[in-house]
Amino acid sequence: MNGRFGVRAGLVAAVAVTLAGLVTGCGGGGAASGPTTIRFVWWGNEDRAKVTKAAVELFMKDNPDITVQTEYAAYDAYFQKLSTQVAGGASPDLVQLDRATLGEYQHRHVLEDLSSFVGKTIDVTGIAPALLAGGQIEGKQFAVPGGQTTQMLAYDPAVFTKAGVEPPSGPGKSWTWAQFGESLRKVAATGVAGTTDFGWAIDWFEVWLHQHGKQLYTGDGKLGFTAADLTEFWTLTGDLRAAKGVTAPEVTTKMDGSMPNSGLVTKRAGSEINYDSSLSAYLSSYGPGIKAAPLPTDGQASGMAAMPPVTFAVAQRSAHKDAAAKLLSFLVNNPEAGKLLGVARGLPPNTAIREQVCGAAQAATKAVCDYEKSVADRIGPATGLWPTGSAAVKRDFQRVYDDVIFGRTSVADGAARVVQTAQQSLGS
Amino acid sequence: MTRRSWGWHLLLVLILLVLLYPVVWLVSASFKPAEEVLAGLSLLPSHATGDNYTQVFGGVAGYSVWHYFANSLVISIGAVIGNVLSCSLAAYAFARLHFRGRGPMFGFMLSTIMLPQHVVLIPQYVIFQKLGMVNTFWPLVLPKFLATDAFFVFLMVQFIRALPGELDEAATIDGCGPVRTFRYVIAPLLRPALITTAIFTFIWTWNDFFSQLIYLNDPAKFTLPLALQIFVDQTSQSAFGPMFAMSVLALLPIGLFFFAFQRYLVEGVATSGLKG
Amino acid sequence: MTQAVLDRPVARERAVPRRRRAGRGTGYLFLSPWLIGVLVLTIGPMIASLYLSFTDYDLFDAPRWVGLDNYATMFTRDDRFWHAAGVTARYVGLSVPLKLGLALAVAMLLNRARRGAGLYRSAFYAPSLLGASVSLALVWRAMFSTGGTADRVLAAFGLDTGGWVDQPQFALLAVIALAVWQFGAPMVIFLAGLKQIPKELYEAAELDGAGALRRFRSVTLPMLSPVLLFNLVLETIHAFQSFTGAFVVSSGRGGPSDSTLLYTLYLYQRGFTDFRMGFASAMAWVLLVVIGVLTALLFRGSRRWVFYAGEGR
Repeated sequence: MNGRFGVRAGLVAAVAVTLAGLVTGCGGGGAASGPTTIRFVWWGNEDRAKVTKAAVELFMKDNPDITVQTEYAAYDAYFQKLSTQVAGGASPDLVQLDRATLGEYQHRHVLEDLSSFVGKTIDVTGIAPALLAGGQIEGKQFAVPGGQTTQMLAYDPAVFTKAGVEPPSGPGKSWTWAQFGESLRKVAATGVAGTTDFGWAIDWFEVWLHQHGKQLYTGDGKLGFTAADLTEFWTLTGDLRAAKGVTAPEVTTKMDGSMPNSGLVTKRAGSEINYDSSLSAYLSSYGPGIKAAPLPTDGQASGMAAMPPVTFAVAQRSAHKDAAAKLLSFLVNNPEAGKLLGVARGLPPNTAIREQVCGAAQAATKAVCDYEKSVADRIGPATGLWPTGSAAVKRDFQRVYDDVIFGRTSVADGAARVVQTAQQSLGS
Repeated sequence: MTRRSWGWHLLLVLILLVLLYPVVWLVSASFKPAEEVLAGLSLLPSHATGDNYTQVFGGVAGYSVWHYFANSLVISIGAVIGNVLSCSLAAYAFARLHFRGRGPMFGFMLSTIMLPQHVVLIPQYVIFQKLGMVNTFWPLVLPKFLATDAFFVFLMVQFIRALPGELDEAATIDGCGPVRTFRYVIAPLLRPALITTAIFTFIWTWNDFFSQLIYLNDPAKFTLPLALQIFVDQTSQSAFGPMFAMSVLALLPIGLFFFAFQRYLVEGVATSGLKG
Repeated sequence: MTQAVLDRPVARERAVPRRRRAGRGTGYLFLSPWLIGVLVLTIGPMIASLYLSFTDYDLFDAPRWVGLDNYATMFTRDDRFWHAAGVTARYVGLSVPLKLGLALAVAMLLNRARRGAGLYRSAFYAPSLLGASVSLALVWRAMFSTGGTADRVLAAFGLDTGGWVDQPQFALLAVIALAVWQFGAPMVIFLAGLKQIPKELYEAAELDGAGALRRFRSVTLPMLSPVLLFNLVLETIHAFQSFTGAFVVSSGRGGPSDSTLLYTLYLYQRGFTDFRMGFASAMAWVLLVVIGVLTALLFRGSRRWVFYAGEGR
């Protein structure tokens, strides 16, 4: 230690710096009286982030008095942080939500009822009413769809060709579950799993339920399926797993919707079921060869439906709701923004922009547009909103499946547990 | 005799190699080109590259690494000042002053060392939320000014108890009241304990991921560990290199502190277990 | 004479009243930061969280009284709670003895007081500082993932386990390894304790014909027992509260298949992800009681094996 003077001066400096830091750190973060600053958060991978930031830049250019701070993270981390932020009173202004979380957040009075903004700051005339309904709760517009998507099987043609299989890609083509299973087994014979084990996500179970004339949730927010249904579904995946047609448990357990943990992207599987709003992400993470095929079905009903993969909502506690609403409308309706955003969140929700984007589409955008066109005749209308508690149901679904694939519980017991905990979560 | 000495050294060095391998691996991985990061067992990169660091210095979530570093620094230094001040005051009271309830209060203070943080976590969070202090540095620093780290109070109490009472008496005879006795007699002698407190507070605060996680919500306020976490959340598979580069940067201050003050650190830890 | 001295006016100081009153008042004065802290940040929140544990509270709406519902659910209807308790018990039961055993062994090695012992001591201590960080936890996750360092080393020895962090049977072991890796802190304390053992005791034992093992059992352990108790209590409490390692290694999920779902991690999920703050508060109180009981048991049991040399304590 130096002489007393040195130490003392150092101490004073440290105190000064700290106090300065504390003072600036304790303010709300630079809210000047003139320009408004809002925070916009979303989940997704890097290229969704890139195009979104570009669109935001455009917005800021058009609206010089509004500054937009952006944050993004992977799905799981995004919602973990969002909950904490909202709970702590530091809610972002514009948030991205999905079917599982929209109902939840609305129920907790986190979201602003946009009815008063619709027709004024937020223009929804360009969005098909069926799609728009995806953001409505009890007739009130709480969120605006950020895109339109449907389910797909993303696959690497090279892997399948090597196995001597060609998935049905193109208008009018489809396959049955048996054909699907057979293809997977053939791919497995070449040394890689045919597809990522799709039993992990309640979303794909929903497709299967639709094919059997059932649904996940009833109109009044209760469970629409039984343990027997789930048992049948997980037995299907179980058989495929036994034949190594789907990924091993260590791979499946990492699935969280992000690209780095994807079975397909990490080349542990030759294909993966997902929403086509992720197709561009696959193309940039894996490589340009990825194609999309419809999900297998045994009957007339494809089980697939058109729905908003994401919706944008304004926080009720936002101090700048108007600015946030403006940004929302911009993202959804502005042609330039639409071009920038492309298909990062599925097809553009605004029909006019969609035609424009798909008309001039190339590469990734073209892939999504083509796929949507090829399945347009068989996808059903947007499915009902998921009720409050559905986020917890989705999480529990994956957790129990973890136990099933690692052999810690039987399919029947697991299915029963899912139904039981789901009923608890929905009841809350 | 020499042979046994060599054997002893060899054994220790071997254990140390295994023990410190993760740290060495981290540093070397941060200099490896992307393909090699996870691939190679070897410690040396085929060609060392600073690319990872360049990428990290490009910023995370719109802010530069220095921004997060500064945040961490402000919080840690604030905590150090808080702890040194408040814990020494409290320790002096417990060790040297007489007042009603001293015994039970001291006992209670000791028991708070074993209090799990989680019992008080949520109400504390609510308190700070109501005060509008969430998403600021206050919840991380203010408690330190209120002597909430009972461990350091205890450390200092033990230290002061070891100081001979004659010093206090001499001061009193010279006309010092308790305040001046503290300021001119005890505090200077308390320096080793204060240094230990300062160092540990700095390091523990720097690493205190959980509190930072729940109280800091937007990147403008994030600390280095939090920024590292978002970096991990945001980046794609091939970005382990930059992630490790950022990890190294996040650990650097602790490493530097350690090298500079290792003697005090280790002695501080040693004495904490012994007195009483 | 003292009174005259005290009454002598001293520059810049008010007249000092009778010594005893000054002591008490000043005592509280010096103690005031701590008192405020204890009331506002410790006792207050403790009472509040006890209250919250009887409510359903999601941080948005006002708490809703539910009585013992949270506790009932926790103990009878929540599988994950018991699972988390089991995982934590396993974690504490394995990491603490391993950590302390290793710490003692290395401390004894270092006690031979050869040249460079100080340097070695610091080197062994370093992981304790680094290990609690997010950075090291990330390194750990990478090292123990499929294809990572640990996987390859084990494979080289013929043990083909695959990545530890991706397998439910091994994931917790990776987290335990991270904890044990930080044995430097208790080691330093043990070393200091060892150094305090008078050499004469060893010499006397040797003269009596005691071998190394006997000397360890009859001299080292008893003389070290207070320090051992200190370390044991501290490390156990610390282990029960462990969070960062498991959080980072499992990416916050406690997986795979809840195999790394430590109690604190589950508490965090319930409180901050599921918005069940009342339930989380109840969990916190249960943790407090468990730690309290365990600590009390440790101290109670210590009377039988801890030996205080009894010099002017």
